[in-house]
Amino acid sequence: MSRVITQEVARGLYKATRTAHVDADVAASFKVGDAIQARNVNPTGHTRLPRYIRGKQGVVAADHGIFQFADSLAHGGGKQPQHLYSVKFTAQELWGADAPAQDSLYIDLWDDYLEKMA
Amino acid sequence: MTSDDEVALRVRALESLLLEKGLVEAPAIDEIIDLFENRLGPQNGARVVARAWSDPAFKDRLLSNPTDAIVELGFEAVQGEDMVVVENTAAVHNIVVCTLCSCFPWATMGLPPVWYKSAPYRARAASDPRGVLVEFGTNIAAEAEVRVWDSNAELRYMVLPERPAGTDGMSEDELMALVTRDSMIGVTRALDVGGEVAP
Amino acid sequence: MNGIHDLGGMHGLGPIVREENEPTFHDEWEGKALALARIGLAGGHFNLDEFRHAMEKIPPVEYLSISYYERWLEGTIAMLVEKGVLDAGEIEARMKDLS
Repeated sequence: MSRVITQEVARGLYKATRTAHVDADVAASFKVGDAIQARNVNPTGHTRLPRYIRGKQGVVAADHGIFQFADSLAHGGGKQPQHLYSVKFTAQELWGADAPAQDSLYIDLWDDYLEKMA
Repeated sequence: MTSDDEVALRVRALESLLLEKGLVEAPAIDEIIDLFENRLGPQNGARVVARAWSDPAFKDRLLSNPTDAIVELGFEAVQGEDMVVVENTAAVHNIVVCTLCSCFPWATMGLPPVWYKSAPYRARAASDPRGVLVEFGTNIAAEAEVRVWDSNAELRYMVLPERPAGTDGMSEDELMALVTRDSMIGVTRALDVGGEVAP
Repeated sequence: MNGIHDLGGMHGLGPIVREENEPTFHDEWEGKALALARIGLAGGHFNLDEFRHAMEKIPPVEYLSISYYERWLEGTIAMLVEKGVLDAGEIEARMKDLS
């Protein structure tokens, strides 16, 4: 559905209206504190799972709630609403033993990017 | 690389086609540019930080429910729909990057600076944040924890910098002047009372 | 896609270059390029995820050598052509008319 951008519409573009949050009832596969592994995948399409995270092990730090899935929306696949988590990875897990032991990186990962640790 | 003149011409061609096809009316274009040049910007985030430094109850709300706390101050704006605010302390230093593109909390900070969108920052903020911080003149204690936030999805991250020493009697407006865009990305601290970048 | 945009952890890209008192836009066309992209998005012609992917598909050497708002411009044009709002070659023809 397209619309003409008039000056009036443009003025409204200041407003926060385009939240990616979805009001849907979708079960979470993970909970805060769960040890997870990011899937090792190499999709040829759009993904927000960077290479440096794939295959790495982390811990779910927060559940942001249910969000539309970028990987799907980039290819006309609909919202595929699912939980989005803040996941903590240690710097050493990502970059090796030379990284400072106490440092970490947090990144937001959708349910579909994650698998449970065995 | 294309010359600036050629790019400008390409933009003009696109603009004239979108006007001709009726996708947009001419005044809307200036309206959007004005939004980014004048209404969105780090002055909004500086207000949020100065309020948090001055009002402990607001600070609690900002950390626990950042999106609504920011809206409370009137900044209910685009690319601020789902905010996360992380607090810098002596023990934890947070730094924000978007390794995949240029995601940034427009609602509180406007458009990102060129360096934030540049390949060297996006590459190294993730893997060597301490090295990047040194490049920005920011010294972090070896025993402190550095936390990188890669804003790869639709949440937008802002750092609540540490309140500088010696600012006890300062008003919210005075404090605002010490809050820089870079300190809200986490690459530097807030300015010290003398208005200098603190190492 | 395993593209050049996925930069986290790369080496050899040089120092981080900062600019004192950086303006929001360095040239009039930059603000226009951003506005035209916003018009495509807000007008419902393409979504943000499609737009990001369009920029990721810019060939790697070009991605690194053109400026940020040139990427926005090329992403917007690519999307509008893909969605049938513009015909392929229409931009080039209009550039010729305007120059």
